[in-house]
Amino acid sequence: MTLRTACWWTFGILSAAFLVAPLALVVAFSFGENPHATLPFGNPTLQWYRELFAGDDFLAALRNSAIVTSCVGMLSAVLGTAAAFGFTAIDRKVSRLGVQLISLPVMLPPLVLALALATAFSATRIPLGLGTVIPSHLIFTQPFVLLIIYARLTSFDRSLIDSARDLGASSLQIFCTITLPLIAPSLIGATLLAMAISLDDFVITFFTIGGGMTLPTLIWGMLRTHLDPTINALGTLVLVLTLGLSVIAFKLTRYRG
Amino acid sequence: MSSIRSRDVAAVAPSFLVWTGFFFAPILYLLVVSFWRVRQYKLVTDASFDNYLLAAGEYRHAIVFTLVLAALVGVVTTVFAFAMAYMIRFHAGRFGNVLLFIALTTLFGGYLVKIYAWKGLLGSTGIINQALLAAGLISEPISWFLYSPFAVVITLVHFLLPYALLPINAALRGVDDAPIEAARDLGARPSRILIDVILPQCERGILTAFALAFFVSAGDYVTPQLVGGTDTFMIGNFIQSQFVNRMNAPVGAALAFATLLMTLFVVALVSLLYRRILKACAT
Repeated sequence: MTLRTACWWTFGILSAAFLVAPLALVVAFSFGENPHATLPFGNPTLQWYRELFAGDDFLAALRNSAIVTSCVGMLSAVLGTAAAFGFTAIDRKVSRLGVQLISLPVMLPPLVLALALATAFSATRIPLGLGTVIPSHLIFTQPFVLLIIYARLTSFDRSLIDSARDLGASSLQIFCTITLPLIAPSLIGATLLAMAISLDDFVITFFTIGGGMTLPTLIWGMLRTHLDPTINALGTLVLVLTLGLSVIAFKLTRYRG
Repeated sequence: MSSIRSRDVAAVAPSFLVWTGFFFAPILYLLVVSFWRVRQYKLVTDASFDNYLLAAGEYRHAIVFTLVLAALVGVVTTVFAFAMAYMIRFHAGRFGNVLLFIALTTLFGGYLVKIYAWKGLLGSTGIINQALLAAGLISEPISWFLYSPFAVVITLVHFLLPYALLPINAALRGVDDAPIEAARDLGARPSRILIDVILPQCERGILTAFALAFFVSAGDYVTPQLVGGTDTFMIGNFIQSQFVNRMNAPVGAALAFATLLMTLFVVALVSLLYRRILKACAT
């Protein structure tokens, strides 16, 4: 190994450490007796998790997060897939513009989006709650499903569908027996990704939920009030859920960067 | 298939309805509100440019400070991500896949967790100060690690690095080996190859990475609020506070759109200058 290669490897290892270390430390602190974010971690303990799960706030937040995440996942899957099918059938130029329009909310700072939604909800007197959080999440999760399924459908072997139609299959039969099984891994992956993004969102949720809480807004509340060591257990839980969903999603969609 | 069938319109319609109702209409309404006023906690619908004049006057320093800090984050993140992508493309072998996997995995999770992790790391009793003290490099904790622009920059770079790595990595993967080898065979130095062959071909990936990091940083208020302390108020904090504390949506909206316009302007400027900067570096 030359000196230059050694230097590049050192840089690579340091950047990997830079990306992972802060998250790894949160996980490590959540299992240690030391209540402060200092070394040593202390003896291994599940104390913080027991305290976290005993709290009413946490259970309510977990329930809300579960409702929002599953609704947003399902709705993004249906809307994004339907739109992807529609766009692949129409003229390329029109569909490209349409895909870009639908993806626009992802490009905007979340704060602007959150304030636009909060202002609009207050002007139309729509009461804030989970019912306003879910469509608000939908606008920045559906683009991901649309983009993934659209990409999958454009690389699709059309001859399968054509031969099925020649053999007399109905559109529904073609969809259920050919198209859906072929896009299923991408569809599940895209749905999980939408769920990870929804589960992790703080800014939009904070401005559109009104009084309730989700896991990220509970973390925010803990950060604002006092240094509560159970925050590491809560943070670890959010990390495991969101990163876990992402890993499975990227494995299923075979996305490698 | 040139004509648009009603079935395809029906398939796209639900997505567009949600988009119109919960994105387009609210953003348009916010734009209209940015010209209104608030009197006694009520919106008054007389349009004027007063809020924008306020943004250009009283809030000019905050906007400029935000743009400078966001540009710094954008540049640091892009250079860091380019170095990582360069290593993955030319020097890493299978280790490159590990780096990409880490970046992909941490992409969509733990926004708040990442920020508060840095809060714990950078504090005067935090691990970094502990390590420096133990190593004897410093005799007392460094206080400017936390609640400073430095903390905001390092936290945002950490959060944005995976986002910047992906487009640059995709761009570098598309760079052909043949011209690089030809340049090397003709005796070009690595820096020359980088500027003349590689960087021009990565223009889109690099600009996308910069724009992404710059936009997100300029619009963030959570990071400065948690790790920025009292002297790192970014425009996001003012916007948020106009809405939440002062109940003045028009001023907050005007600040948001003014900043958005400025960020678009900066990104357009950087895109225009990219080739010129490369040319200047080449000579």
